[in-house]
Amino acid sequence: MTLADRQEIRQPPYHRRQGLARLQAEALDHLWPWRSGSTQHRGFQRISLALAALASLAWALAAFGLLPPGAIIGSWFGWSLLEIAIRYAHKPYVKEGPWWGHLYRRASLMDLVCYVGFKNLLIGAALFLALRGLGAVVV
Amino acid sequence: MQLSRLLARVLAPLALAAGALLGSPARADTYEVKLPPELSSSPRLCSYAPCQEVMPGATQFSERKGQPPYVEAYREENGQARLMGYVMLSTDITDIPAYSGKPVVTLIGMDTQGRFTGVKILKHSEPILLLGIPEAALVRFNDQYLGKFVGDNIEIGKSRPAENLIGLDAITGATVTVIAQNQVMMTSGSAVARQVGILKPVVRPAASFPPPAGPLPDWAALVAEGSVQHLRVRPEDVGLKGEGHPYMELWFGYLNQPTVGQAILGPEGYASLMGRLKEDEHALFIIRTDGMDSFKGSGFVRGGIYDRIQVRQDKDSYTFRDLDYINLWGIQAAGAPAYQESGIFIIRSHKGFSGAYPWKLVFLGNRIDKESGAKTFANFDQEYWLPAQRLVGGRPEVIRPDPTWLKVWKERALEVAAFVLFLATVAGVYAQRDRLVRRASHRNKWAVNGFKYSAWLISIGLVGFGAMAQPSITQVLTWFHSLLFQWQWALFLSDPLIFVFWIFIILSVFIWGRGLFCGWLCPFGSLSELLFKLGRALGLKRFQFLLPAPLHHRLKYLKYGIFGGLLAVSFFSMGLAEQLAEVEPFKTTFLVGLFQRSGPYTLFATGLLGLSLLTERPFCKYLCPLGAALAMPTTFRWFGLRRKDECTRCKACAKGCGSQAIDPKGNIDARECMLCLDCMVLYYDDHACPPLAQERKRRTKAGEALTPIDARGYFIPIHPAAPRTDTSTTPGAPR
Ligand code: SF4
Ligand code: SF4
Repeated sequence: MTLADRQEIRQPPYHRRQGLARLQAEALDHLWPWRSGSTQHRGFQRISLALAALASLAWALAAFGLLPPGAIIGSWFGWSLLEIAIRYAHKPYVKEGPWWGHLYRRASLMDLVCYVGFKNLLIGAALFLALRGLGAVVV
Repeated sequence: MQLSRLLARVLAPLALAAGALLGSPARADTYEVKLPPELSSSPRLCSYAPCQEVMPGATQFSERKGQPPYVEAYREENGQARLMGYVMLSTDITDIPAYSGKPVVTLIGMDTQGRFTGVKILKHSEPILLLGIPEAALVRFNDQYLGKFVGDNIEIGKSRPAENLIGLDAITGATVTVIAQNQVMMTSGSAVARQVGILKPVVRPAASFPPPAGPLPDWAALVAEGSVQHLRVRPEDVGLKGEGHPYMELWFGYLNQPTVGQAILGPEGYASLMGRLKEDEHALFIIRTDGMDSFKGSGFVRGGIYDRIQVRQDKDSYTFRDLDYINLWGIQAAGAPAYQESGIFIIRSHKGFSGAYPWKLVFLGNRIDKESGAKTFANFDQEYWLPAQRLVGGRPEVIRPDPTWLKVWKERALEVAAFVLFLATVAGVYAQRDRLVRRASHRNKWAVNGFKYSAWLISIGLVGFGAMAQPSITQVLTWFHSLLFQWQWALFLSDPLIFVFWIFIILSVFIWGRGLFCGWLCPFGSLSELLFKLGRALGLKRFQFLLPAPLHHRLKYLKYGIFGGLLAVSFFSMGLAEQLAEVEPFKTTFLVGLFQRSGPYTLFATGLLGLSLLTERPFCKYLCPLGAALAMPTTFRWFGLRRKDECTRCKACAKGCGSQAIDPKGNIDARECMLCLDCMVLYYDDHACPPLAQERKRRTKAGEALTPIDARGYFIPIHPAAPRTDTSTTPGAPR
């Protein structure tokens, strides 16, 4: 989205931070889809946290060679769908323009599909390749 | 509105045609057929393979013999069996994969003179041959080998008599497949021809070794200098689960070299071994320090052949029989690891081997396919070359042949350079867009369109129809799978234009979005939009239409669904996904030819192109899975177009956007934008952009000067400098 409408701008709470603090906040933002302190959708939050733990467990099981590749890919895909829903409720914004810039905008569902899809593809591929390299996953 | 109904009517049968086409693919004969397991294991190969077809006239076939295996073909003549030639199964000899990552299982016949007599594909997994290109094309390709001598220098491309090179015509659009097939043919043919004596081994000058000087090196020193080498096969390489152990861990070295031989065997052991060797015989030792299996296998018990190890020197290969084996009683070098299996193997004389030149120890393994449980042949090797100080006069000069992909790059160097130049020019021109759009006006956009139309023509004519370098979603799926399962650089590098194109696409998508590729360079997209412009020029303007916005904004998601569906299907069956990828009319249009394919394909492609006369890029907007795959990362492109505050109220740009990428608030959806720059021309045009035109008129009336228009699209100054806090993070700021 190239913005004309300023109403679309949604800066995250950390947008004024600079340097390392900002990088840390951004990294955390990529890895933690829940908004801290949010009291909205409490039930959903608890269920999604439990499912996130399950997705992490799936990777741990895979690391011990206890999960076939299909199951890892399936569980990561499932988690990605859920992450889209969580972000839509908790952090409905994406970065606009250069990755080193500081401008964020309101995220549509499609924006989050693209964001989570792309991010989790990178994370998933990196973990999958690492497990393959270690011999825990055989394809 | 009526026209949109018309479109709906046209789209429905098209979708049906596509569905029918996808649902009932014309299956080719040997695509992914199930072959009997005995084909690769039974001694009677010809009971399971049509050997007569590749050796016409033969009436009897022997059992598999030799290493790698082959069978002898005989004909009854006057009550006597006369040897006619040899038949071999490619997968007995080599595991070279084709484009699909799987080998093309080929039965090859060769007469006693080393001329190919027949080639038959028993199984292939090449989707391009399933739908895009008739399998008959591969049969025709293979027929080019008939009568050719196995020892000739046969390559894909033009013949070069001056270099003794015989060229074969490639299959247009399946270059990677035929390059792999040529390697399979030549590797298989020459492996058997060498065994049966048709091709004589290359005679290499014998090595001469300096006598040992000083103390003998220990194990670590031997390993460090390369006199002892290490070959490791991981369980996952052969489709097994790792349990902390490698599948095979071998250490090996060349024993004729006195320093190495004495360090390993001790001076007496070395002297005793050399006493047993005839002139021009060579000994090497192998130990297995870890692993899940034996490197000796059990073949030598049954047939006297060690069928898991081989030595290769260039194109000559050496196998070992039980008589070539001597026990290795111990390793004298200090620090040698403990081992579970060992042996000394002798390469017999007159075979051309030389210790001065590099050679490889090859472990001939089997990969177990997890799905089918079937075993496929897999080679693992490690090079060995005595260090320079262990040879009198150092290492001889060795000219290594270029890998196939490099040969292709060298052969097409000019073409590649021209293509890189073309892409760089387009990127350079686009990078100057702010200047270009200011030179153009709403009425005359040639300053931009001149470049864009030239890019289209080159893309359609030279890149699409000429070089057939139309990128496709199947490449995305293949890369995705290769990334997760088995990355093969050589495979991707063997089509240089596609490789270069993808590097450019990936970079440009992150810098500017998919629009630069889709809007300026995609051969099919360019053809589609060119037809739309042509339609307008030919007087079809009154029939041309856009879908109503609500319908458009629903239908545009269809392409993402198609992409997601293809990706999901590809995890279960890459072959099926590639068949479904026929939703792209690219193969029909550029690779095979619009009228060279069966009705449904032609109907689908021509239907889409015909529809393009009436509405802009219908395929790109609603169906293209490649466009969708590129649109998704476009969400994060670095540099977008410009917008000003007034765009939220003004609809002028949105009305002119053929891609329907501008929303009612004036925001541009980068995923849908083709970067045609029409809106950017308008943005700076003080006769077309309503707020600018208004200001121009006001100033003219008031007799004020018409100052230049700044980067943000305003006359300088349009109003006292607005308190803009941080220009780099606000809309309308230069990007
Ligand atoms: S949407 Fe597809 S066909 Fe259209 S330009 Fe992009 S890649 Fe080419
Ligand atoms: S008019 Fe503007 S928004 Fe529409 S496709 Fe062209 S460049 Fe993109």
